[in-house]
Amino acid sequence: MKTEGRARLMTSKITFFTDRFRSSRSLRTWGASFLIVGILNSTVFAFLNEALSIAFEIAAPYVEKDKFAVREDNWSGEIPAGESKLIRHQLFRGNEYWFWLGSSFENAKVTVEIFDSEGNPVGVETFAEKNKAGVRLLPPKTAVYFIRITVADANSAKGETLDWGLVYGYR
Amino acid sequence: MNLVELRRYCYHSSPLQLKSQIQHFIAIAVSGAGLCSAVAQGPKPPEKLDLAAFPGEIVEKVVVPVPAEVFAVLDKLDEPNWTQEIQIPEESRLETKDRVKLSLGFGSLVAEGFIAVQAQDVAEIKTIGEQALKLGNSLGLGDAVQAHSLSIVDGAEREDWRRVRAELDRTQATVRETMTKLRDDDLGTLVSLGGWIRGTSALTSLISDNFNQDKSELLNQPSLVEHFIKSIDSMDPLNLKHEDVVQIRTGLVALLVLIQKEDENDAGISAEDVAAMGDICREILELFYFENDEKANEDGGQGATDDE
Repeated sequence: MKTEGRARLMTSKITFFTDRFRSSRSLRTWGASFLIVGILNSTVFAFLNEALSIAFEIAAPYVEKDKFAVREDNWSGEIPAGESKLIRHQLFRGNEYWFWLGSSFENAKVTVEIFDSEGNPVGVETFAEKNKAGVRLLPPKTAVYFIRITVADANSAKGETLDWGLVYGYR
Repeated sequence: MNLVELRRYCYHSSPLQLKSQIQHFIAIAVSGAGLCSAVAQGPKPPEKLDLAAFPGEIVEKVVVPVPAEVFAVLDKLDEPNWTQEIQIPEESRLETKDRVKLSLGFGSLVAEGFIAVQAQDVAEIKTIGEQALKLGNSLGLGDAVQAHSLSIVDGAEREDWRRVRAELDRTQATVRETMTKLRDDDLGTLVSLGGWIRGTSALTSLISDNFNQDKSELLNQPSLVEHFIKSIDSMDPLNLKHEDVVQIRTGLVALLVLIQKEDENDAGISAEDVAAMGDICREILELFYFENDEKANEDGGQGATDDE
């Protein structure tokens, strides 16, 4: 699954280059080169952040239909399968927020939840479907909130790392 | 369809039509119930989280809110006079080779852009877009900034305010990322800091114009101030000793004291404290962005004496 996720990271970057490299042969050559380099060099994965692309993809309809402004700044990284991470973030009462979480591992099961400084859940709406999840909130006060992200994958070995990307929008 | 509509719908129908219509209604009702149960089967609401005993890692990265995020709330609470808040410094004020000042100035200028967008002032946004490009060039990041600058100007001409806001956010993010790639993390922090100070300065001014507790609550950002102080403390010694950085740190500590008084008293940030916060932000901005009024007066006075 990890290879699948990483191979997909490569594929997305290759797709990015298709506008410039229309020839399928040169594309295949590029793809193969990227795949090999990618497998050997983990730093490339930070550059090709498909988890974030997926998170932005989830956000897109909210931007178009609901006029949410999505922030350019975001969070991403890797996480051992089945584990959680906590993110602190300042929010303002009076705004409405959505946080969207994605992973490039299609079989991953991701969740995102939000808590106030006393650990009370404050999300008013959530969804979680495979490698995509979201939580909406109307902050009861202007303060720092805690966002818990969890990325699991039934097919991943214990300790295997999965990627994740979290973006947010407000209105 | 409610029951009244259903009755009206059935009233004009033949028995056969009626049967078919009732079946149709039942099908809609069943599918509706199915949809409701599917929604109800969503993720279970989480239980209370013991933050002190959280077993996982806490992500260190702090995302600093853009001024537009706070301004959006202010717009819901009042009708602020955004136009009066636009204070673009003279180009010469931002001309320097000091990269610390340039970074702080760049961040502040982007925040100025967010104010001008709230005011929907096309001319001022265009000026800001052009100045941002010049500052970007001075920082050696002209290539990274150019596309954003053009898009800001184009968005303003089309009065596409959402696009201009998004582009301003992108500009700041691009500059920070580029600085990180160039291993200039400190300067990236200063860009964020300059933007936050300018945004907070405008916020204090607008809150003071027509004070209420709902508005002053927006200044309750102690963890962001702590984050900036911590970031300064971990800077390269050369940057840490920079006169502006030293003074900014002192100013941030003073801001933190004022904000934390709210937590202690649980009474919210008072009008006096909002004004005091505004003064601190102004003093900080006079180091690298605004004209220093007192200094200008002193210089002017000195000049007059010399002339005499």
